[in-house]
Amino acid sequence: MATGHHFTVSDYVNDDASYIHRGVFTDERVYRRELERIFSCNWLYLCHESQLQKAGDFLTTFMGETPIIVALGHDGKLHASINSCRHRGLPVCRTDSGNAKRFVCPYHNWSYTVEGELSAVPQEKYLQNPPDKSSLGLKKVPRLESYRGLIFGSFNEHIESLDDYLGDQKFYLDLYFNRFPEGIEVIGEPHKWLLNANWKLPVENQLGDVAHGPYLHNSLIEKDSDAVHEINNHGLNCVAKAGHGAALRFMPEDSDPKDIAWGLEGFGMVMNPGMEQYLLEVQKSAASRIGEIGARCKGLTFGVYPNLSFLWSNSTLRVSHPRGPGQVEYWSWWVVPKDAPDDVKEALRINYNLLFGPAGMLEEEDSEAWTQQYIGSRIPDARDQRYYYGMGLGEDGNHPDLPGLVGSCFNEHYARQFYLRWRDEMDDIDKINVE
Amino acid sequence: MSTIDIQLQHRIEQFYYREAALLDKREYQQWLLMLAEDIHYVMPSRYSPQRDIEKRGQESFLALKDELESPSPATAPMREENIFTIALRADRAYKTNAWGFNPPARTRRIVGNVMIEVSENEKEYSVNSNFILYYSRHRNDNFIYSGQRNDTLRDYDGQLVVARREVILDWNVIEAPSVGLFF
Repeated sequence: MATGHHFTVSDYVNDDASYIHRGVFTDERVYRRELERIFSCNWLYLCHESQLQKAGDFLTTFMGETPIIVALGHDGKLHASINSCRHRGLPVCRTDSGNAKRFVCPYHNWSYTVEGELSAVPQEKYLQNPPDKSSLGLKKVPRLESYRGLIFGSFNEHIESLDDYLGDQKFYLDLYFNRFPEGIEVIGEPHKWLLNANWKLPVENQLGDVAHGPYLHNSLIEKDSDAVHEINNHGLNCVAKAGHGAALRFMPEDSDPKDIAWGLEGFGMVMNPGMEQYLLEVQKSAASRIGEIGARCKGLTFGVYPNLSFLWSNSTLRVSHPRGPGQVEYWSWWVVPKDAPDDVKEALRINYNLLFGPAGMLEEEDSEAWTQQYIGSRIPDARDQRYYYGMGLGEDGNHPDLPGLVGSCFNEHYARQFYLRWRDEMDDIDKINVE
Repeated sequence: MSTIDIQLQHRIEQFYYREAALLDKREYQQWLLMLAEDIHYVMPSRYSPQRDIEKRGQESFLALKDELESPSPATAPMREENIFTIALRADRAYKTNAWGFNPPARTRRIVGNVMIEVSENEKEYSVNSNFILYYSRHRNDNFIYSGQRNDTLRDYDGQLVVARREVILDWNVIEAPSVGLFF
């Protein structure tokens, strides 16, 4: 590349996204731009409604790098505020979750309601001109909306409704989040761990990268197993809207209900035969909630742009919180059908913490790949070697039964669509190059 | 607290040193023989809960157990394993395509602060110990784990085996790529 050439988004992602520049994962200026253009402008997942039950219940999380308190207010509404005092910036909440009447800053004890209003400044009685408390509340997340109990927030006041943002991805989310008679619940605290990888790699992996399964994980997943054959024969990558993704097995109409009902069981089935009974019962009534087509779908992995993922077989929601170009703070939550018996829930948990999460046998191989990809992306003399993202280019299209663009599970169109959207949102990156 | 026989203390410490040596030498198959067939191996997840204000001024205000999610239907522990899943992990280390073990783990375990409690069952001992585990694989990717182990050791025909182990790590956000190692 000629000296003095300023990178544009087209240098990072080409027009059909079949080539992606390594700097997408490593460049500091790309990362700064992502915080502004991706994380401050889109809907970001915060938590599930089952985690906040009573007035005053709260939990802490992040939107990008911004620390957030999400609380159920005494007005019965959800509130999300930046966890940083308006006086000197200290966090006003220091625990992961709980129930509070007030959040108090340790430094001068400014205190805030769970709704984020400044309620007390202890020093004000000594002042002739006390501060105007009504203008000094915690900074609010201006938009909060939820879908099927999944609560999202956005710092972009003008963003489209969450409903429009998800679009036909709602059909795919429903496959799990509306499959069970009483819905789902999140249980326990999230697992949190740091990986030396770019935040987009875990996201991309779980948007639809089914193809790596029997290869990276070959020590656990046999290439010639029934499960792999089923994925090869029926696996689809569905992109309802660029940036979102759903990988699933679309089972034939004449399938035995058992063959469709399973798909959440994994190791758990070995541990607990009662799970078979439960899942079959759910399958019998699934069409009444998600339709005949929906009931034939056996999910694999799902993603909501930009950084929420859901793994069907492993009962886990996860968020990839960015921490610089080369680090991600990855959070995972355990999610289960609310009406499942306790022993079935616990059997499902085996698939969560034995295979995925910080101790997961599969995920330790994924995180190996993600961290090594980051190292590979920084090789100075390989900067002209863009990554090939063209697997299945032109082979996706409309499907008679399923919404969005659909391709085989080996088609990387889910990633191409993600990076095309990313490119659009990062559009004037060349401007910051000049700074 | 009753006095612990020095020979028992010695025996249990030697058991732990041997265990650490086998694991550091990657002799996981030998190590499996040090576990009871009905072993429960758990790692609670650990978070920062809100403290119970009613307990202010008392040690129970900071009770460590309040930070832990041990296995129950209402919790999400980090690990809850049995002999089958532990053996599965051990087997993988010797496969060419288990990429989390390639290159193999370089580990160094230091086990100390071994405290034995006499149990009512004279064939079982409750033992608390602390550990530091140094872990290295790729180039300069090095990590240090610190934690506590709460064990039940069983005397099985004159041989000690681990019948229950609870591993408590000291992180909130885990700073290592995996906590799937043998602690």
